[in-house]
Amino acid sequence: SGAAWARGLLSWARPERWLASGSLFPLSCIHTSTSLQKIGKWEKKNWIVYPPQLPGEPRRPAEIYHCRREIKYSKDKMWYLAKLIKGMSIDQALAQLEFSDKKGAKVIKEVLLEAQEMAVRKHNVEFKSNLHIAESLTGRGHYVKRVRCHGKGMFGIMKISRCHYFVKLVEGPPPPPEPPRTGFDQAKEYVQQLRNRTLVHTL
Amino acid sequence: MLIVVRSPLPRLRALLQRCWGQLERGLWPGVLGGQSPPWGPALAVQGPALVPQGINVGESGAEAPSLLESVLWMAAPKQRRTIEVNHCRRRHPSKLIEVKRNIDVCPECGNLKQKHVLCGYCYAKVKEETRQIRMEICKKEGGPFNAPTVETVVLYEGEKPTEKDAGKRIIERARKRPSWFVQN
Repeated sequence: SGAAWARGLLSWARPERWLASGSLFPLSCIHTSTSLQKIGKWEKKNWIVYPPQLPGEPRRPAEIYHCRREIKYSKDKMWYLAKLIKGMSIDQALAQLEFSDKKGAKVIKEVLLEAQEMAVRKHNVEFKSNLHIAESLTGRGHYVKRVRCHGKGMFGIMKISRCHYFVKLVEGPPPPPEPPRTGFDQAKEYVQQLRNRTLVHTL
Repeated sequence: MLIVVRSPLPRLRALLQRCWGQLERGLWPGVLGGQSPPWGPALAVQGPALVPQGINVGESGAEAPSLLESVLWMAAPKQRRTIEVNHCRRRHPSKLIEVKRNIDVCPECGNLKQKHVLCGYCYAKVKEETRQIRMEICKKEGGPFNAPTVETVVLYEGEKPTEKDAGKRIIERARKRPSWFVQN
């Protein structure tokens, strides 16, 4: 009963493990190692399990969340690369990153290849090229302050910045890019706003 | 982000000021004897300045004031730039990375390559083979300055020197001839 209580307590954390294991190993699902002290929210997004789809429903595309933490790079500089590959197919993104001169391009390429492999092995993706990048974000990692020596005994305090990189791959071709807003669209919206006006505080 | 911390040097500054005061008094001893403010000429006559205006000339002829005083004349931001303004500057389309349109597939190995650049994989392959040939040449020559005056021919496994390779130096490589290394 103790084991069942402990398993029930952690079922929200590892639902797929609990659903998959039919045997009754006591405390096998409890994570007791201290190395991964805090599993981030992005990693947990891979653990959600949807109920089986009904026969008539359209197929839900597979979503793969992957990230790398504490990359020795600036988050602002990494953002430009993340913005570059947002919305591209994975092959195009890998091509762009291969010929980019930035340091973060190599890191992001490794992350994308890892995510692609994860998708094929664990997330039931059929074609590794049939993925596109739905979201790609950067986050701030831990910063440390260090002393930078100048001449004449002066010193400055520099901060060594690190960043995280998050990517979400979704199965399927990339969505078509939004057409830019033309003046005609803006005029149409304006006319529609004028037409939506009504008389207030009346019958 | 660098913050320069300058250690204050009050003694040096006081010393400089005293020295400068002594210099001024030495040059024009009669000016500041009794009266402190400098007095101009009584008659406003166009002509050369007869009364030496010690302080004004001294100040205008002085070197630039020390860093601690010139801080008042340096440009400094008046208001904090909001994150919206910062985003407008940092995320302007001219600052974003452009999508490269000159990437193709190498017909030899199938890796990606830029149109105006050699394929990286093929180049590395050729470079490695060249390195092996050069090692063979080193072994044959034995030391520096032993390069022969005749041509060199590289032969792979199962190849015999032809009539054209009569007087040439032959380097043997213990592997099959690579497909990209055409024989004569």
